[in-house]
Amino acid sequence: MSTFFDVAHYDGQKAVKRKVEVQVVGPQFYVLENEHRSGPFAFADVEYVTKQGEADVYGLAGHDGWRLILSGPVPSDLKGLLPTPRRYGGWVDRLGLGKAVIAFALTSAAAVAVVLFSPQRLAPLIPDSVDDRLGDALVGDFGGRFCHTPAGDAALQKLVASLDAAPQDLRVEVANIDMLNAVALPGGNVILFDGLLKQARSPDEVAGVLAHEIGHVREKHVMQALLRQMGLAVVLGGVDGNSGAMVNNLLAMSYSRNAEAEADAHSMQALGNANISPVGTASFFDRLSQLDGSEGTVKGNVDITSYLSSHPLSASRKDAFEKSIVKGKNYKPALTPTEWTELKTMCAQDRKAKSGFGFDFN
Amino acid sequence: MNDEQLQPHSAFRFHGSWVEFARIAFPNLLLTIVTLGIYRFWATTREREYLWSKTDFIDERLEWTGRGMELFIGFIMVFLLIGLPFIVIQLVSQGLIFQGLPVLAGLLTFAMFLSLFYLTGVAYFRALRYRLSRTYWRGIRGGSDDPGFQYGLSYMWKWVVGWLPLFLMVPWAMISLWNDRWNAMSFGPHRFSANAQWTPLMKRYLLFYLVPFLFFGGAVIFGISMAASGGTPDALGDTGMAIGGILAVVAVLTLYIIIPLAALLFYSKYFRMAVGGLRLHTLEFAFRARAADWVLFFLANMAIIICTLGIGYIFMPYRNWKFFVEHMEAYGEINIDELTQSQTVVEKHGEGLLDAFDVGAI
Repeated sequence: MSTFFDVAHYDGQKAVKRKVEVQVVGPQFYVLENEHRSGPFAFADVEYVTKQGEADVYGLAGHDGWRLILSGPVPSDLKGLLPTPRRYGGWVDRLGLGKAVIAFALTSAAAVAVVLFSPQRLAPLIPDSVDDRLGDALVGDFGGRFCHTPAGDAALQKLVASLDAAPQDLRVEVANIDMLNAVALPGGNVILFDGLLKQARSPDEVAGVLAHEIGHVREKHVMQALLRQMGLAVVLGGVDGNSGAMVNNLLAMSYSRNAEAEADAHSMQALGNANISPVGTASFFDRLSQLDGSEGTVKGNVDITSYLSSHPLSASRKDAFEKSIVKGKNYKPALTPTEWTELKTMCAQDRKAKSGFGFDFN
Repeated sequence: MNDEQLQPHSAFRFHGSWVEFARIAFPNLLLTIVTLGIYRFWATTREREYLWSKTDFIDERLEWTGRGMELFIGFIMVFLLIGLPFIVIQLVSQGLIFQGLPVLAGLLTFAMFLSLFYLTGVAYFRALRYRLSRTYWRGIRGGSDDPGFQYGLSYMWKWVVGWLPLFLMVPWAMISLWNDRWNAMSFGPHRFSANAQWTPLMKRYLLFYLVPFLFFGGAVIFGISMAASGGTPDALGDTGMAIGGILAVVAVLTLYIIIPLAALLFYSKYFRMAVGGLRLHTLEFAFRARAADWVLFFLANMAIIICTLGIGYIFMPYRNWKFFVEHMEAYGEINIDELTQSQTVVEKHGEGLLDAFDVGAI
């Protein structure tokens, strides 16, 4: 038993349009043109190609350019044998637009949530050796910009030891760069910039900032941020250009503020344990807060914009540090006056330390 | 009998409607947002399917057979082969700067830039090849067997030659690369031949090139004549103010109107010359849009985008295609019996590179 349908046909070999009959025989069919018959072809190999006006165009797997063009309503006998037209693409067509939109939105939200929240869990699982190697690759000898004098090194060591229980896994250095900043990098690296030491009015201020950076190391914030950035780059990789980067930065920024608050808490704790007064750190933030919203430069051209942009408002931090003062407690200075002078002038004394950034050879 | 006589002004016709396109573009936008951008490959495919199917060449519609998955695979390939290595290289070169090896970092960055430059050329070529291989007319498609790696080298040296003599050879580079690209392409059994001339472009290019100089020269002459006549804008009072105002208006006009206008004047000629030099066997092509058409086209696009607060952006693929098809022309005749299937290779991945670099193909 067989059924016949009239359709237009291209054989994919020549550009000649043919009027043909399709003869359906069970799951197979033949294409008949006058006395010429080609086939049999399996309906299973038929693919939906596209819609052209009112016509549905079908192709055949493995036959380049082979087309059946069915104009107008497709006879119901044939319709059941042909593949369904494609609209949005496989998954969306199967689910329907509304359900697909909801499913995609939920999946996307889940993916972003995983990328945002998993780094806190994952960062501690990264072996220290990886962290150390990354730190070495990134920091090295900082292009010879680290300052060293025997007395200055001793003062710095004393400060670190008073603030952390395991100072041997930390590598704290002073870099000969005139910026009001300090950074925590992978591998337990903490770098205090000389500009910060010059601006600081007491060793207690430096102790507060140093303890803050050590807090970043201990809370694994650097590795978390790295993982989060990589995850966001992958998840938002499909979003083009600027909007992706903007969302990425906004998310990263809100997380960096959280991390700063955690590091501040760590700092207050460490200062308390070391019996160092948080007053110095509070007054340091007080001075910074007066610069908030100003041009971002202090006398001596020390750039503080970089510090402000990634840190919570200095005024609120000042309040937090002030509140952590325990009245009646007998605080002692973080360093003796001699030690403080040695630390502060270490870069000025060390003639071998290079200054500035990579392209600055002065 | 199968020879199709081409009537002037009728070879290419577009029957699309923006209302129909909107029914594709709005769901596309929605799906693209909820999939964090990943759907855009399928969105592009749906738009092309529609635009191609609404385009007649002589007596038969065009057919776009590219798939969203191909574009997606292309994108993933670019991400793995180029995106990731480049992120690593950037990290390494930052590390090198930290470690005081700025020269090595500079070399690495330069090598990265060179390979990007090369890959951009390859991407232009492969995008054109991909689009031709997915475009069917009467069951016949186009393509190329050239993978485009050689073209990438031509792209590099021709642009360098174009830029070296103070950018004066840019028209030569553009036309010569257009010819190289199209000479490697074919449709059905026939190879395209591209013999566009670059010298007729020079007048308009020089106009575009000289506008800033002419403007600057005019300002200098004006200043000198003012000084010579003994008057300063200040001494002339209101007149001086008025002249100053006029000068400011002229400056703004030059920057935002005259320079883009001169660029468009050049580009319209470039595109006319480029398409005009194209042949396919017995067919010749022409592009009829004059500079005024381009200006109106861009003004209308801007008006649409501004008046719809940016949403109109989703109609730009429709507008671009419509403009392109309505001004394309073909002359000559095609022997349908001679037009047999293309034997060129068909890649399984789409224009990933070009998509990643965000550039257009034709």
